[in-house]
Amino acid sequence: MIQLIADHIITPLGEGTENNLNAVLRGESCLRLHNEVHGEPVPEPFVGSLFEHLPQRQGFTPFESLCIAVAEPAIKQAGVDVSAADCIFIISTTKGNIWTSPADSARKIATFFGNNSTPVVVSTACTSGVTAQLTAYRLLSRSKYKTAVIIGCDVQTLFVVSGFQSFKALSPNPCKPFDAERDGLNAGEAAAAMILQQTDSPFSASAEHPWTLLGGSVHNDANHISGPSRTAEGSMRCLNDACELLLPDNLACISVHGTGTMYNDEMEALAIHRAGLEDVPVSGLKGIYGHAMGAAGLMETILTIHALNRGIILPTIGFSKQGTTYAVNLSAKPRTTEKHAFIKLLSGFGGVNAAVAWSRETVSEQSATTTLDNSCSIRIVNEIHISQQNDINNLYRSLGVNYPKFFKMDSLCRLGFVATELLLKECGDEIDVENTALILANHSASIQNDTAYQATIADPHSFFPSPALFVYTLPNIVAGELAIRHHLFGETSFYILEKETDLQPIIDATICSPDINSAIVGWLECTDKTHYEAHLKFVSKTND
Amino acid sequence: MNHMINKEELKNQIILALNLEGMQPADIDDAAPLFGEGLGLDSIDALELLMVMDKNYGIKFANKEESKAVLASIDTMAEYIDNHRTK
Repeated sequence: MIQLIADHIITPLGEGTENNLNAVLRGESCLRLHNEVHGEPVPEPFVGSLFEHLPQRQGFTPFESLCIAVAEPAIKQAGVDVSAADCIFIISTTKGNIWTSPADSARKIATFFGNNSTPVVVSTACTSGVTAQLTAYRLLSRSKYKTAVIIGCDVQTLFVVSGFQSFKALSPNPCKPFDAERDGLNAGEAAAAMILQQTDSPFSASAEHPWTLLGGSVHNDANHISGPSRTAEGSMRCLNDACELLLPDNLACISVHGTGTMYNDEMEALAIHRAGLEDVPVSGLKGIYGHAMGAAGLMETILTIHALNRGIILPTIGFSKQGTTYAVNLSAKPRTTEKHAFIKLLSGFGGVNAAVAWSRETVSEQSATTTLDNSCSIRIVNEIHISQQNDINNLYRSLGVNYPKFFKMDSLCRLGFVATELLLKECGDEIDVENTALILANHSASIQNDTAYQATIADPHSFFPSPALFVYTLPNIVAGELAIRHHLFGETSFYILEKETDLQPIIDATICSPDINSAIVGWLECTDKTHYEAHLKFVSKTND
Repeated sequence: MNHMINKEELKNQIILALNLEGMQPADIDDAAPLFGEGLGLDSIDALELLMVMDKNYGIKFANKEESKAVLASIDTMAEYIDNHRTK
């Protein structure tokens, strides 16, 4: 089983998990109006929860420094040797770095702690913090690794704030999750770390209250790259999967995304309704911390665990009057519970949704064994390789496909689109839309499009951040575009890695998920419009 | 307003901003709806059109409802630009 053995969080409210929990229960928040982000003036003021000073370690970016600052106390508390060959570092971030590959940052962070294993960066937009937990769960269950240090971190920049402003997604006030008067989200930044270990006995973990990660799933809406599904397809599937991992009577609460935007909260309420969970208490923390992006999933999981250790369901600050079509069981005040299991749910750009289930069961059928398939192998059905000798737009035209949206996509998505069309040409009919996963990776994230977006905000006298460019500043959008194109409701994950072969252990572990039968996997790299490479495979699972 | 907006110029700006590959101004009907049917634009395109209005004509909208009516067609956009442009 996979257990939590240590954690730590650093937020603008303070340092340490217990300190933050106390502040949350006192009703504190750091959401306030800002005219600048860490020294960069922002033309339109915004409400956010920002650090007054970011840590700055010599030779490291602020993002890397914050990752180290949050991981250090957790590692110390865990008392494990993170330099061991069976320990892996997993980083969850969206735009922690913009101009440096997060894979390079991850390597620097792992090296700082004496770890030589190949680190993994999970980049699935706002769901990264939950996907990172799931990736750790799978790798600890089905690879050589026994210990995972998971770090979730993001720092705000003019780049990100202006992008959300171009999407008209930011509220001019502290956000009001699920409330009738909600009008947008707040920018946030934070760092969170958790250390997970594979243990054979429920009593071997060092923690006072051993919490067990039971697994989870990722599902795409196959609907839109930025707008939440009007039918909550992905989120509802994630909730259904998570419920199968738990004993329903133990479910204390669902920790939701609850960004405070009209569409997200409406979608989550619908997902909860469709999953038949409307009576289960729900809580969301964005009214305190804003949206801490890559840190959110880990931070919100850790705070929920510590609150449940005290028998408390966290309050949803900012909520006062039901404002969703389907009511959810919310309260702006802390509530008490004797139950000790919960679901952490998130959604993000790229139409992606993710949930994990946690339980503090000491002994139970559910937590005693992993829910992954015991052993399975992969059969390669088809394989495609595209290099920069091929002109992508010409390849698209030669396909004879009419998909007008192709020309709105950034280069990475166009590359993925053409490669997938060619890959699936002969096996299109075989695709099982419910159980086919997209597991993609590269090294440069979305650098080509990041450069294009930056050009729209570089000149303060001609400051027109482009929403159509901003949405593609997340590399996982390509997986979302492919899910829409091929109507795939399965997992869509994107990893940022040093090299293509680093993806193989992730593929091998992911394919053991019981809800995955086949997958489109591989490498999609695009550093600029003339330098790109695609190597994709369509694989199917064969249970041994 | 002494100079009325040239609808062809507006259409060119839209084609450029939305990457409507292969489309000519003549392909866009002045009165046809831009969203849903018609050009089949989506919510990100709407945000991009708001940026076209701001960048080229100095027009900002206070709320989504107001902008929705304005972005209905080329005719409604042109009329609003003629009455509200600041540049």
